[in-house]
Amino acid sequence: MTIHRAKWFFLLPGLLVLVAIILFPLLFTIRVSFSGWDVAQPGLDWIAGFNYTRQLQDLRFWESMARLALLTLASVTLEYVLGLALALLLWREVKAQRFFRVLFLVPMMTTPVIMSVIWRTFFHESLGPANDIAQLLGFAPQAWLTDGNLATASIVIVEVWQWTSFMFLLLLAGLLSLPREPFLAAAIDGAGPVRTFLRVTFPMLAPISIGALLIRLIEASKLMETVYAMTSGGPGTATETPSYYIFIRGLREFQIGYAASLSLIYLVIMTVALTVIAKVLARAMLPKGAAA
Amino acid sequence: MTTLYRLLKYAAILLWSAFVLAPFMWALSTSFKTSNGVTGGPTYLPWLQYEPSLEGWRSLFRADGSGIDIAGPYGSSVAVTLCASAISLVLGTLAAYGLSRFTYRAGFIRNADITFFFISQRIMPPVVLAIPFFLMLQAFGLLDSEVGLIVVYIALLMPIAVWVMVDFFNNIPRELDETAMLDGCNPFETFWRVILPNSKPGLVVAGLFCIIFGWSDFFFAFTLTFTNTQLLPVAVVALNSSVTPWWSLSAAALISVAPLIAVALVLERYLSRGNLAGAIK
Amino acid sequence: MALITSQLSRRVDGVPYLDNVSCRLERGGFYVVVGPTLSGKTSLLRALAGLDLPDTGAITLDGRDQRKVPVWKRSVSMVYQQFINYPHLSVFDNIAFPLRRRGMGAEEVDRKVRQAAQRVALMPLLDRMPAALSGGQQQRMALARSLAKDDDLLLLDEPLVNLDYKLREQLREEFLSLFAKQDRAIMVYATTEPNEALLFDAEVLVMHEGRLLQSGPAREVYARPANVEVARIFSDPPMNLMQGILHGDEIRIGHAMRLSRPRHFDSLPNGNYTFGIHPGDLAMHGGGIAMQVDLAEINGSETCLHASRDSVNLVLLLAGVHGYVPGDRVEIAIDGFRLFAFAADGKLAVAPSTNQG
Repeated sequence: MTIHRAKWFFLLPGLLVLVAIILFPLLFTIRVSFSGWDVAQPGLDWIAGFNYTRQLQDLRFWESMARLALLTLASVTLEYVLGLALALLLWREVKAQRFFRVLFLVPMMTTPVIMSVIWRTFFHESLGPANDIAQLLGFAPQAWLTDGNLATASIVIVEVWQWTSFMFLLLLAGLLSLPREPFLAAAIDGAGPVRTFLRVTFPMLAPISIGALLIRLIEASKLMETVYAMTSGGPGTATETPSYYIFIRGLREFQIGYAASLSLIYLVIMTVALTVIAKVLARAMLPKGAAA
Repeated sequence: MTTLYRLLKYAAILLWSAFVLAPFMWALSTSFKTSNGVTGGPTYLPWLQYEPSLEGWRSLFRADGSGIDIAGPYGSSVAVTLCASAISLVLGTLAAYGLSRFTYRAGFIRNADITFFFISQRIMPPVVLAIPFFLMLQAFGLLDSEVGLIVVYIALLMPIAVWVMVDFFNNIPRELDETAMLDGCNPFETFWRVILPNSKPGLVVAGLFCIIFGWSDFFFAFTLTFTNTQLLPVAVVALNSSVTPWWSLSAAALISVAPLIAVALVLERYLSRGNLAGAIK
Repeated sequence: MALITSQLSRRVDGVPYLDNVSCRLERGGFYVVVGPTLSGKTSLLRALAGLDLPDTGAITLDGRDQRKVPVWKRSVSMVYQQFINYPHLSVFDNIAFPLRRRGMGAEEVDRKVRQAAQRVALMPLLDRMPAALSGGQQQRMALARSLAKDDDLLLLDEPLVNLDYKLREQLREEFLSLFAKQDRAIMVYATTEPNEALLFDAEVLVMHEGRLLQSGPAREVYARPANVEVARIFSDPPMNLMQGILHGDEIRIGHAMRLSRPRHFDSLPNGNYTFGIHPGDLAMHGGGIAMQVDLAEINGSETCLHASRDSVNLVLLLAGVHGYVPGDRVEIAIDGFRLFAFAADGKLAVAPSTNQG
């Protein structure tokens, strides 16, 4: 046995299992996207690139992409900012620190779709507490789930509730692992809290911030279950995300061929976008000369 | 630290705590209601605003038409999640060790590309894979079965294990592996006797993440199981129709998310001990 | 019976880590590899251990090709400069680990572990975990493990560098007794400090930029460096080197320095040379060459004096603590009998005689 033979025994089991499980689905999807499989004509025929040309003109799809960009950017940014704020608040000595840390970790442990079910009752216009709270704060009762913009806002609220916890976890872990010396040096140099944060804390968190943002962006882009449970994409298509749209086309309307082409284009766009974002983030947040 | 700053700090913490607790409190309260407590508008306090009842909770254990049996789906979820997480962790950790320690080359594909391949599996939205998985499981007779779901979940969870463990292994100095080899261990013994015993924090984090993401899946359970097997999220969402009373719904939801609170406690322990950072970076 | 490397080369990203290194290490020998950082010391040790495969060249032990033998089948130990121990094992288990891997019986393991722990003074700490040990103790544990293994090849890569000064002195002394004369194992010790090599009085391999410049007994390399590079490297502070011309009875250095041709330069033809003299061979002497002090460093009980005149810079090593200040005028005598002469190609032309006088 040499190292050169041994190394494959480590990598291959996992790699082969993964490839085995997803290879067929991937190849199948590619093949099906070139067919016109739907309820009327089930089966693998061949219609060449027809699905793709149809997709180029499918406004509903492209609108859902734009909507996803908005939703994702809004929620991930909020999650990061809030998560960072919370991590900073609970970093050093605070009363009942453990209790609050555990509490703030809970949301990400819950099943998103089940929480969305609860949120749906929460945002109910007449029977849920959301409007009670709104009136308490001096606002008029709102149509949380039935007004286009508000429905989007509601989804963002739910996402932020769920995933700020994840950012909190990673950023707090990052903060706790920071060495003391730079902070001592900053204190000796007379830096105030804001300066210390901007020049010492935040830059040192860069690697973990990038990881956290990327992971959240990847996961957030798949947004579908919350929409399914809370608004069913509505009102109309106001909260429809690409995943949800593909779901409708494929599993509700059974236009399987078309859904396949939607899936593939979506996959390509997302992979390219996320890779680009990863590189940009790495360059922006890491100090000059540091390898990604 | 000035008093004003202190006040603001605790105010912020309490505000967010209220936000976190809001849906739970609401569900808790609602789970004890009957129609009186719901139809007239939102009510919050038992006895003062509505008459509490255990109907919501009782309905969870009735297997007849008027309720749902929560024990079955619960058991299925536990079995599937633990199995899939365990297998993903094992396969993923092995692959991660390989990617961390050795150099792979196949044509122009290098280590970084392989790692990227693993992690990029997370980009795939479930909906893309739903139909092909459906056909695949059907061909193998694994539709509507726990085994079928476990297979699917492995593909979902292994990338997570790889992501966490590659970073973790990269933070263990190579010299430790080398010393083990110089002391007579071949690569497997090195991994098993030396590296793995020193990887507990990473494994805990990877394992917990697998469990969290596995437990929470809805979509695949939704599309790939029907009657024989039912996982918890599917059972609960099935209640999300206008027919089911809110109290059953709330009770079911609460009971589903309860176990992961225990996970939160474990995770916080590791966080505070400082073990987490090395695992996640 | 020996460990022989021949034409060992290794390049990484175009940089030569090892450049055509050929050497012969005899069993029972204690070798010190000396060179500045990035000179290839670590690369050489790792190649000997089998941790990195060279691009070209061969390594044989007692005539057997080592390149085919996997690391875990070899009889090699390595002590790193960052203390590397098994974090999850106690001191006892750390030292016992390789022995158990070999299938040694429990009694014998116990005996050997205690023996090794005794020699490095770790007996009272056998139950501790590495995290509870100081740096010096951790490094001793690594040493004990190597001792207990009793391998054919023992490699030490700057093992004392991360320890404090006192500890370094102490362990250095212990090294000599620990690895006393025996005739089976080959010991290779890497360091950036030539003084350590001289202290050990060992066989030396001088390396620079991946090349093996010279090998031989430490005192000999010090007294007769093969070229200017070795002269610079194998002396701390580095040997003073001055460009000059040998003409007739005179040595001319710079504008004003004139020295008379010493006897050991008799056979030397006139011409341009690089002249060298060890810092310790320079002295303050009334009537010597007038120079100006640039810097005085006090090291323990010695003073390292930097002086210059025109474009000639000299470093003197003086015993005792002297209070010189930059700007002071001093007079320095260059003892002609202690001069080295290096030819235009850098190679040693003449070295001072090793007889005192």
